[in-house]
Amino acid sequence: MFSRWNWVACGFCLVLNICSPDASGGLVQSCGHIIPESPVLALGSNFTALCILNESCLDFGNIYASQIIWKIKNRVVPKEQYREINRTVSSVTFNDTSSLATPLTCNILADGQIEQNIYGITVTVGLAPEKPKNLSCIVHQMSRITYVMTCTWNPGRHTFLDTQFRLRYRWPEEIFPDCIPKDVNNSCTVADIQFFVNTEIWVEATNALGKAESDPLVVDPINIVKPLPPQNVSVSSGLLPTILKLSWENWISNAVMTLKFNIRYRIVDDTDWMEVPSDDTASPRTSFSVQGLRPYTEYVFSIRCMKEDGVGYWSDWSEEKTGITTEDLPSKGPPIWRIIDKSHSPACWTVHLIWKALKPFEANGVILQYEVTVRDKSSLSSPVKKYNVTSTNHTLQLPEGTYEVTLIARNSVGASPPSVLLIPASNSKAPVKNLRTLPKHDKLWVGWTAPNSYVLKYVIEWCLVSSSSDCITEWQIALGDVQGVELKGIKPFKCYLITVYPLYADGQGSGQSVKAYLKQDRPSKGPTVQTKKVGKAEAVLTWNHLTVEEQNGFIRNYTILYKTIDGNETVVTVDPSKTEYTLSSLTSDTLYTVRMMASTDNGSRSGPDFTFTTQKFGKGEIEAIVVPVCLAFLLIVLLGVLFCFNKRDLIKKHIWPIVPDPSKSNIAQWSPQVPAKHNFNSKDQMYPEGSFTDVSVVEIEADDKKSFSEQDLKPFDLLKKEKSTSEGHSSGIGGSSCMSSPRQSVSDSDEGETTQNTSSTVQYSTVVLNGYRDQTPVQVFSRSESTQPLLDSEERPEDHAGGADSPAQRQQYFRQNGGQDEINTDRPCFERTKQITHANEGDLVGFVQLQISAK
Amino acid sequence: MLNVTGELSGDSWGIFTFLCAALCNLPALPALNCSEELGAGQSIQQTYDLTRYLEHQLRTLAGTYLNYLGPPFNEPDFNPPRLARAERVPSATVDLDLWRGLTDNARLAANYRAYSRLLCYLRVLDGQVGTAELRHRLAHFCASLQGLVLSIGGVMSSLGYPLPAGPAGPPAPPGAHAAPNDFLKKMDDFWLLKELQTWLWRSAKDFNRLKKKVPPAVVTLRLEARGF
Repeated sequence: MFSRWNWVACGFCLVLNICSPDASGGLVQSCGHIIPESPVLALGSNFTALCILNESCLDFGNIYASQIIWKIKNRVVPKEQYREINRTVSSVTFNDTSSLATPLTCNILADGQIEQNIYGITVTVGLAPEKPKNLSCIVHQMSRITYVMTCTWNPGRHTFLDTQFRLRYRWPEEIFPDCIPKDVNNSCTVADIQFFVNTEIWVEATNALGKAESDPLVVDPINIVKPLPPQNVSVSSGLLPTILKLSWENWISNAVMTLKFNIRYRIVDDTDWMEVPSDDTASPRTSFSVQGLRPYTEYVFSIRCMKEDGVGYWSDWSEEKTGITTEDLPSKGPPIWRIIDKSHSPACWTVHLIWKALKPFEANGVILQYEVTVRDKSSLSSPVKKYNVTSTNHTLQLPEGTYEVTLIARNSVGASPPSVLLIPASNSKAPVKNLRTLPKHDKLWVGWTAPNSYVLKYVIEWCLVSSSSDCITEWQIALGDVQGVELKGIKPFKCYLITVYPLYADGQGSGQSVKAYLKQDRPSKGPTVQTKKVGKAEAVLTWNHLTVEEQNGFIRNYTILYKTIDGNETVVTVDPSKTEYTLSSLTSDTLYTVRMMASTDNGSRSGPDFTFTTQKFGKGEIEAIVVPVCLAFLLIVLLGVLFCFNKRDLIKKHIWPIVPDPSKSNIAQWSPQVPAKHNFNSKDQMYPEGSFTDVSVVEIEADDKKSFSEQDLKPFDLLKKEKSTSEGHSSGIGGSSCMSSPRQSVSDSDEGETTQNTSSTVQYSTVVLNGYRDQTPVQVFSRSESTQPLLDSEERPEDHAGGADSPAQRQQYFRQNGGQDEINTDRPCFERTKQITHANEGDLVGFVQLQISAK
Repeated sequence: MLNVTGELSGDSWGIFTFLCAALCNLPALPALNCSEELGAGQSIQQTYDLTRYLEHQLRTLAGTYLNYLGPPFNEPDFNPPRLARAERVPSATVDLDLWRGLTDNARLAANYRAYSRLLCYLRVLDGQVGTAELRHRLAHFCASLQGLVLSIGGVMSSLGYPLPAGPAGPPAPPGAHAAPNDFLKKMDDFWLLKELQTWLWRSAKDFNRLKKKVPPAVVTLRLEARGF
């Protein structure tokens, strides 16, 4: 560092000399120098430098101290810090060295403005070393006879300078070689150390600005030894199953120092160490018997040591060694319980005896076998049965009764005390009361209130309730004086069925059960809701209960949330036992969205949305409308029909007026004179148009049936005659068969009366159908005077003439007419009259008047 | 507590007077500058421990060194007659009763002188040994022995005895009594180790006895504190 800046400084000088116009005389000495040369300065102190110009240069270049400019690196030092001491010397003063930097140069402004360097120095700024503090030493044992002492200290602040630390130690009249740290400044290790002589130890820190010493540490190195841990530790089992003997070797001779020890040990699977009381191992030794251990247990041991008087340091722990204690008798009998299966037949039990393997600290060895003894208490004569079992269960077929089961576990040393289980015929004793559970961290606490009588012990059974599989029962036994146990291995969010049985000396109480959760969560899914029935204003919702696995807790309630598409949500809370609910006051014909939420203590979860639409009409509403409408319609129809019936004549008159049959107009006048056969032709000629195809009905009336008296009709006939005479029979239509026939019939009846009286003669009328157009016109209206039965042979030619009408048809007509005759016997003439009036209303007016008057 | 102190005041004052005398003398002795605060009892204990430690060291060192010298010196029953030239090594073969009859001061002084001289011879021995390991162990032993000399000086100071005059310098330069041949030189080494062993054995007894005579300073100081 120094040499480099010297070179720089020389370089400056060289430049100055070469450049100087006055220094033309080859290699010349420098024009000046700075005092002090390369100073090392304390940070924060003040500093003054002098630049002294050579006389020779003054002569050549007219340069003076007043022209000197000081520079730090390339920065000009303010003129206020300069002082011109005399013509050749200028000084610069710095109040605080922290503003200094290298190089500090002395320059001169020669020949106007040309700045030339005269000299430069390097400046080193730093701090004096602080007094090293907290010196402490420890002697490490390296081997049986080798010890090294390592001392550490706090070197103090950074000095920015090269600072040397050295550890020094001495006896009153002997100074040992210094220990100089390598690579570090806060510790040093002394290789050879002498015991039993007080040694003064201190640290010295030195740099260019000064020297500092720590407080001396006076110590006998034997008092700061950290020995090597005991070696070759071995563990051997002692005579007793609770003792293991440890042996080891020490690294340090008793002549150097006596030791005390710490022994720690743990069960091999544990992490917590136990320690042998330190008083027991406070003296020098190479072996120790650890007592109070568990039989047949593997232990890990470790030892450490230190100077017997406790001055110095503990060694590290020795390597760990393991040892196993020997076996001992099992300390207790295995806990035993039973499951009785009475399903086959109530009188014969299948008894599953189950017991728990002893814990290692109870078994005290390897359990070789279990001995089960079953004694029937109900019959003293029956022999005691013994079974040797290697598993932890045994199944027996026993008749119903009271039994005492004794279980013994056996290891290589001997047998355990017996465990006794009484199996009574019935669980008739008092059960526990007030069974309750409480989660405690990751365990489930089950508590109960004891029955009044003395309980030997309690059996707590529990099983995970599952919808798919059977409960796999776990159990444990609690002593009779406890009123609560903590169940381990309980999973959160699962439902457990816990049953507690009290066992008495002479029997067993019935089990009390409770369902419990260690921790509840909200259900894993919500109920799926559906509608069972949807009405106009109500809907019946139905859902299934969640399975046990889905519940994750006790379902406290169900919440039904329903809403229309744009309406507010309505919330209904439902008891968890229900699976159906009726929503009422719904709006008709509206789409509703409904979902259902199941809630436990720890939250709730919704099921899927379900939508339904309410009906437009309520139940019976359609019927209520349709039935009255139909009834009203029927009533109207009925009334119409009645009306029509009442007014049928009027209606008939309007829509179906009576058309008079011209063929009947004057049959009374010409029928008897003209042979029938001739009349055919005349008729043809008379009605060329031949529009009357209808059947003409001729009433055949028995004379005796005629209620018209001769007297009654006679004036009528007279009138008719008068009219006929007056009007003549020009028209042919104006007359009617009724008008003519009565007279005829009167005459007929006159004659007929006699015939009828003599024999059962039948009046015949022959009906002949008119042919239509091309067909042979048949319009025969002949009156048979014969009283003989009508013969087919006689009629046959006429039939042929009449067309294809069958005799049957003809007979029908007769029958019809005959029938009609009988019905209309009252007013045959009247009807006939009407028919006639249809023919010519105009002609009839007078006739009707006549009729009325006649009546 | 004060009553108890009052009852014991006779003994306490005696011890206290002794202690005061010892303490008054301490500053005058430059050798004890660093052990001023340590009582005489503790110094004696420490010296005793060091003697035992040296004995222990010497036991292994002597075996190694005699093997280094080779037969017959490493034979267990080798018991040569003591040559006249070996007389310069201080001998511990003084009659035990006579030795016990000496005052503490005289015994301490004799020990001091003897070890100072033995140390000088031992350092000569150290320079001659061939193997580095042995040399290292000899050097360590020498340093320890040097510590013993200092310790004895310290004990003497703490008990108020003056240090024997002129013990530090060897009576003669090492080269002056150089053995005429190798065997005799080995014989010198043999006797040196043998005498060292005897001295250490006897010193241990001395300090043990002295230790019992002078109670540890810590207890004394504690009594003193209670008295005041």
